[in-house]
Amino acid sequence: MRYYITIVINLVLSAVASADTIHAKVNGMVCGFCATGIEKTFKAQPQVKTVNVDLEMKLVTVAMKDGQTIDDARLKKLIGNAGYSVVSIERSK
Amino acid sequence: MKRKTLLLSFLTISFAGRSISLAKPLSYVGGTMVMQENDETGHTISLDYTFTPTEAFGLYVKQEENGKEILMITPELNTLLKRWNLPDGQGNIFNMSGAGVAHYRGNTQPALWTAFLADYESRRFFLSYEPRFVYDGNIEKSFWQRARVGIAPYLANYNDLNTWIMFQVDHHPAKHDHVVATPLIRFFYKTYLLEVGYSSNQHIMVNWTVQF
Repeated sequence: MRYYITIVINLVLSAVASADTIHAKVNGMVCGFCATGIEKTFKAQPQVKTVNVDLEMKLVTVAMKDGQTIDDARLKKLIGNAGYSVVSIERSK
Repeated sequence: MKRKTLLLSFLTISFAGRSISLAKPLSYVGGTMVMQENDETGHTISLDYTFTPTEAFGLYVKQEENGKEILMITPELNTLLKRWNLPDGQGNIFNMSGAGVAHYRGNTQPALWTAFLADYESRRFFLSYEPRFVYDGNIEKSFWQRARVGIAPYLANYNDLNTWIMFQVDHHPAKHDHVVATPLIRFFYKTYLLEVGYSSNQHIMVNWTVQF
């Protein structure tokens, strides 16, 4: 339930911002080192505005800069390079 | 000896012993990790740079104690052999290997070592097992193994202080105390990790890791 509530909140926030927001459910994230690896990987991408990692929800939320995006294949590769597996991806404006 | 160990530990000016079970020997691509361990086996420090999702390269230095006081310096390669990313946890098998030199009482020899680390970690439980094989020329040939179990008394998120209560058992036939048990507590905040324990042979353990 909390997962869906988080998604809804993120959808509302991203709608206000009117930019792409990606919600990726990820397996294998268990600790702060995991989260840091994902956070630093995405912060190094020029298209990314913010990134948030929620270990409890197993959710990585990536807000894109206006007019920018990262496709699913690239997203899976970036999270894979950090050591984790993408289970599902949802996008919102 | 104990006073020396304590002093070196707290000042962290010594060479350290990498506890491979201290943290995973890989970070994210482009990430660098410094690990240091001070315990009853000696002092180790390692610096590793992760250059692919499954490989890290670095430098490993160990000053052994509680037996022959051997200094070993080797480059090292850490390889992720297998990872299981599970909904509520992660399992891994790593290999860590190094080749360099060992020095003991004026005698310098080629040194080779290899170790395997198998671990499972969730946000609540931790298990690991690590066998290690060391060849220091005519100075010493040794094998040691380490196992750890841990439990987190509360579930922490990324921005919280993580706390783990752990129990470690070392079996080191080449040392005076073959089997050593160490209860310890691990604190973990973002990219900083600190472990403090006290072993059954009365040595304080102080380990830390920083990832950047």
